Amino acid sequence: MSVTAERTPARQASRPPRPPRRKSRFTFTGKLMTPGVVLLALLSILPFIALIVMSFSRVRLLGGVRLEWVGVDNWTRVLTDPDMWSSWFRTAVFLVLTLGIEMVLGIGIAIALHRVVKGRGLLLSLVLLPMFVAPVIVGLLGRYLTDSTFGLYSSILHSLGWDADILGSPTSAFAAVVLMDVWEWTPLIALITLAGLSGVNPSILEAASLDGAGYWKSLRHIVLPSISGILLVALLIRAMDAVRYFDIIFVTTNGGPADATKTIPIRLFETAFRFFDLGYAAAIGLMMLAVTIAISQAFVRILTAKGLTR
Amino acid sequence: MTTETTATDTAGTQDGGPPRRDVEKARSSRTVGNLSTAVVIVVVLLWTLVPLVWMVLGSFKNSADVTSSDPKWFFAPTMDNYKHLFSGANDLTPYLVHSIIAAGVAALLSLVLGTLAGYGLSRSAMRGKHHLSFWIISTRMAPIAAVVLPLFLMFRVAGLIDTLPGLILAYMTFNLPFAIWLMSAFFADVPPSIEESALVAGCTRWQAFWYVILPLCKAGLVTTGVLCLVFAWNDYAFATVFAGPSSQTLPIAASQLVTQTGIDWGQLTAIGTIVVLPMVLAGLAVRRWLVTGLTLGAVTGE
Repeated sequence: MSVTAERTPARQASRPPRPPRRKSRFTFTGKLMTPGVVLLALLSILPFIALIVMSFSRVRLLGGVRLEWVGVDNWTRVLTDPDMWSSWFRTAVFLVLTLGIEMVLGIGIAIALHRVVKGRGLLLSLVLLPMFVAPVIVGLLGRYLTDSTFGLYSSILHSLGWDADILGSPTSAFAAVVLMDVWEWTPLIALITLAGLSGVNPSILEAASLDGAGYWKSLRHIVLPSISGILLVALLIRAMDAVRYFDIIFVTTNGGPADATKTIPIRLFETAFRFFDLGYAAAIGLMMLAVTIAISQAFVRILTAKGLTR
Repeated sequence: MTTETTATDTAGTQDGGPPRRDVEKARSSRTVGNLSTAVVIVVVLLWTLVPLVWMVLGSFKNSADVTSSDPKWFFAPTMDNYKHLFSGANDLTPYLVHSIIAAGVAALLSLVLGTLAGYGLSRSAMRGKHHLSFWIISTRMAPIAAVVLPLFLMFRVAGLIDTLPGLILAYMTFNLPFAIWLMSAFFADVPPSIEESALVAGCTRWQAFWYVILPLCKAGLVTTGVLCLVFAWNDYAFATVFAGPSSQTLPIAASQLVTQTGIDWGQLTAIGTIVVLPMVLAGLAVRRWLVTGLTLGAVTGE
């Protein structure tokens, strides 16, 4: 789903007048691309158009799907609803906190792993495990660990003198879902950073150390700047995924307590599938889409600048 | 793929033979450094592994131990939770079958179409290619909530709600663009001169692709397939909207154990173990190429 979607047919239409020499080359790659691209178009452009139409309609589901045109009603609602803006604010806080903590911890873990020579592969494998856990399981596991009567983590906190229902009060519930996200996705940042660290030319570090630069100095002034591009890639990928996934919040607090964890995707789901206000939800969805498209634009721009994409 | 393991630690750079005092100083600071590294790694491992170990342990506990207010690390293990999952009223088997079919077919179809399209994309010289690339990547990154919504309406009209084909199509909304993009990144790493020489040797373009280029990209194929499988297998948001009794998947089974009257944590941790274990094994099997895969080809290396 994208704003540039409509360019695909235009390009295909311009196919015939190509010079014959290049035509054979083009049609071969074109033929290979056709099935995938056509299916992708069906799966992305059609829903995209449907989403736009829905955002200007009231959607009736009972007795067959019907759309009633309501003009810009949903859009005026989405832009003036104060609850929406507080959800956006919470989403922004969630993004900044998760991404910030994940970047700091991930870089730290990568540096620590990079210093290990023997058994690094095994350690890395162990550190990566949370990444493969289904987010819904992360959320349910989080509930198990933080349950106020038998949770392992709440009993540890209890013995430290901190005694409360973790998912029951707004601030600690928000912190808990942030930490669950951090638990699952910090390994990704660590993995990407480690790849960057492994690519740093050792002779530069050697030269720096001969010139008297200590470990931290060369880390700050040589290593980190030289992997800044990779760190940015990691940050953008995580940012897009953080807007994408909402399973953890969905199965732990589902937006509560007192709306403390009601981020935009949770609100969209609630609007659409609990209140069945699909038109309004579509307007929210298009706003989310605009945000991720902006991030992916930045991502592609970096790749292009580095010559990594075609 | 350029996968390099440059094991450079700062210790390795000290071999040049600087004055002895410097060596001693360096050695003591190195010991401190190694000690703090060890501490960091132990803390990281605890933070990472305790929840997983706790889940697996929970799945072998009886109903009293699993919700004991005094957390039990040592207990008499039982297989009851797994036995109950596969017998009785709430048999897990159909969920397992749905999960395997939906995730497997979605991954396979995405991989086949993505390989063809990815090769086409990496070798194509058409105008506006970066627009096509951008469209593909933004389709992959579109928020799930924003995709579920129109698909729900379309599937409802087309009668695809609560069917496995519907679920497979839903999974392909994110797996197909992922596969196209990633495979094209893997193919882009193969120099075009290789198929040029195959063409000179008399291959057709299809033969050059099938017999020469594709075998060179085996790692890419496996990585893409595994990651597609993991993404589809782990999905919850699509399944919770589209799946009904005849298409529910394992993550749905897990969430259904959460009821108003209480949660059977023994069974829940058992399902969790069943969901997590195969994906962990599959993921670790392609660990060398994970960076490339998860950064969509933007970063290569260990």
